[in-house]
Amino acid sequence: MSTRDLVLAALFAAIIVVLGLLPPITIGFIPVPITAQSLGVMLAGVVLGARRGTIAVLLVLLLVAIGLPVLSGGRGGLAAFAAPTSGFLIGWVFAAFVTGYLSERLVSRSQSGLVQGTGFFLAALAGGVIVLYAFGITYLALITGLGFMQAFLGSLAFVPGDVIKAFVAALAGRAIMAGYPLLPQRA
Amino acid sequence: MNTLYVEGNSLLHRLSARVKLIALTATGIALIFIASPVPLAIAAFMAALLYASLRIGWRQSWLRLRPVFLTIFVVAVFAFLVSSAPEAATMLFRLTTLMLLAAAVTATTTIGDFIDEITLAARPLERLGLVKAADIGLSLGLVIRFVPEVVSRYRAIREAHAARGLKARPVTLAVPLIILTLKSADEIAAAIDARGVRGQN
Repeated sequence: MSTRDLVLAALFAAIIVVLGLLPPITIGFIPVPITAQSLGVMLAGVVLGARRGTIAVLLVLLLVAIGLPVLSGGRGGLAAFAAPTSGFLIGWVFAAFVTGYLSERLVSRSQSGLVQGTGFFLAALAGGVIVLYAFGITYLALITGLGFMQAFLGSLAFVPGDVIKAFVAALAGRAIMAGYPLLPQRA
Repeated sequence: MNTLYVEGNSLLHRLSARVKLIALTATGIALIFIASPVPLAIAAFMAALLYASLRIGWRQSWLRLRPVFLTIFVVAVFAFLVSSAPEAATMLFRLTTLMLLAAAVTATTTIGDFIDEITLAARPLERLGLVKAADIGLSLGLVIRFVPEVVSRYRAIREAHAARGLKARPVTLAVPLIILTLKSADEIAAAIDARGVRGQN
């Protein structure tokens, strides 16, 4: 791994940490406050691609594990992995990977803006919502002894917020690809 | 950046990080196999005693444990409503025990000790050619070093918005923040390579 890739991943990890410092926003029709930190996870995949995006997220989780309060709301330490919702935290790694992998496949620089935006949106939706919730809900169901159905229903309230984040990630991903492209391209 | 480590000289402070991490993992696995509320309640009580022996103080402890405990509590209430009381109690005590023990390890282990253990754990991966163990400490250091920088960039972008009378929107904030931050990667990488920090590639 080149030093530049390492630095890019570390800088993006710092961005994800800072997004967690921002106060959560409640959007009118959604009762649950949404934090910008999981937006950062989608952005890591969209901007840096699978490999570097995954490393950026792993670095954030390592910082949490070694006792730095870098999650939104000042959470941190090993106890952050003992919550019933910790599956969503572990799922971040795979969310960033899938978002990055699909972004690399679906989006290329020669496409029109609309196609790029749609590609990024699908990638962020697949990684940051479907894969993330698959991990989060499975973990919640297993650790609490709730059925899958109950765990699924209990998590539904957060889905609209995350779909909005996938949309924001797609818009931002497109703008960054125009301004400072970093995504490794694959055929 | 503040860490969650607390100075002290308790038994847990003196134990090596490796012993604590192995014990925590083993307890975590054991807790999954205990499925009745009464032994788990006793375990939670003992974990609370252990945590209290660190003398972190009620207020500080509550601030530290509140976010995770509230999540556990809310999910336990949800479990009580949709399934049964013993199920909910099992989950509540199991996760509370784990949370208290994990928080106790975090409060008594320095970041340096953690990084040493992570580096050591990465050695087998290094032999497979997957990572360079020394890179882990380097990158964690880089993240900690750059968080304040990213915060000040974020503030500057907010001010630029305000100066132009623009409403702060997620996209118009995130895009310049990411581009400005990542553009410094080349310089930082060149500085690291110039100092030979990573050795020969």
